[in-house]
Amino acid sequence: MAAYALLRSMSSSFSSVLPLLSRSGSLSPAPLAVKTLFRRTLASSSRFSAALKFTDKHEWVRVEDDGIGTVGISNFAQEALGDVVYCGLPEVGTQLAQQDEFGALESVKAASELYSPLTGEVVEVNSLLADKPGLVNKSCYKDGWLMKMTIAKPAELDSLMDEAAYERYIRSIED
Amino acid sequence: MQGSRPLVRVVRLGLVSYQEGLRLQQVYVDRHRSGPAHSLLLCEHPPVYTTGIRHQPYPASRLDPLRLLGAEVHRANRGGLITFHGPGQLVCYPVLDLSGFRKVCRAVCTAACAGSVTRVLSPPPQSVRWYVAQLEKTVVSACGSLGVTATTSPHTGVWVGDNKICAMGIHCGRYVTSHGLALNCNTDLSWFSHIVPCGIEGKGVTSLSRELRRDVSVHEATPHLLAAFGEHFHCELSEDA
Repeated sequence: MAAYALLRSMSSSFSSVLPLLSRSGSLSPAPLAVKTLFRRTLASSSRFSAALKFTDKHEWVRVEDDGIGTVGISNFAQEALGDVVYCGLPEVGTQLAQQDEFGALESVKAASELYSPLTGEVVEVNSLLADKPGLVNKSCYKDGWLMKMTIAKPAELDSLMDEAAYERYIRSIED
Repeated sequence: MQGSRPLVRVVRLGLVSYQEGLRLQQVYVDRHRSGPAHSLLLCEHPPVYTTGIRHQPYPASRLDPLRLLGAEVHRANRGGLITFHGPGQLVCYPVLDLSGFRKVCRAVCTAACAGSVTRVLSPPPQSVRWYVAQLEKTVVSACGSLGVTATTSPHTGVWVGDNKICAMGIHCGRYVTSHGLALNCNTDLSWFSHIVPCGIEGKGVTSLSRELRRDVSVHEATPHLLAAFGEHFHCELSEDA
């Protein structure tokens, strides 16, 4: 992956929740029109970017600088659920295969299953959600993250959709 | 052969234990793996209290006394808090693949909001939010056709004033639904006095019989529920001979 800024023009559903971050002075400016900036990983040895990858079940995973994957649900998913009143999340240490059910979110008396985007081990769950499950609705890409996991099979990331492909996917559902 | 409307198979289970109901739901959920297999399971249960995925409010110490009343107690992977099922209550478990109702959702939302700005606020197609709303409308219609004016509220379920006439709690995995609704027909409502139904303090329960001041059986209510379901889900209902 290039060590340059990954500058993308994002739809309004993303730009309202992602923070604007300033660019490092060590990189030459890229002449692209942008609405939102993503944080870059400057480690040239890293294969990963901080971009979101999506499953067809509307979970996202973001690979952090330390190689851990943060997992949550997309804006499309949180709208489909309605107000989340409870997050049933796995125990730390749980081993998950890609597409394994890892928990459920409750809204409107409906328990909707969550599916793991990757194979790995749960290393942290978002403890804020116990008292504030609504964070999943208000901040689905940031404060409403669900769990963090190791990435046992990095190649699985290639099987997930990038933001553009995911947006095309949800448009095809809505049409 | 299927036209433009989804085909839903009605399966009448009769009086079955809650456990057997769970087992049969799983059978019908599994059928969706090989293609559309929408089903509507209808049954009654012997007395049973059930809880949903929120375990914390119901430790064993709170549930064990309920067994002494002669009821079973089960934890289920549905939404919603504690409720009671028993004879005289029409229990309906729609096992639908919501992705097969995408067009239905759009048709319903378009008709309801014809051109108005509320269209953008409609639940997304194939969403649980849409599904639960349609279930509520189904029950409201069924009650209406029996002469009971029922309403919805911010608390999921169907109400007559401050009294709940129909509880709801569902599960959805890979767009396939299970669990469903429980409509009090001539249920012995005293079973509810031992719990805070659905965890909502200060509200009561009622039944079709109580509201109409005459006996209304599950047998009488069922065709009304089925007709309303077909209407609100724009589907064809079929029954095995």
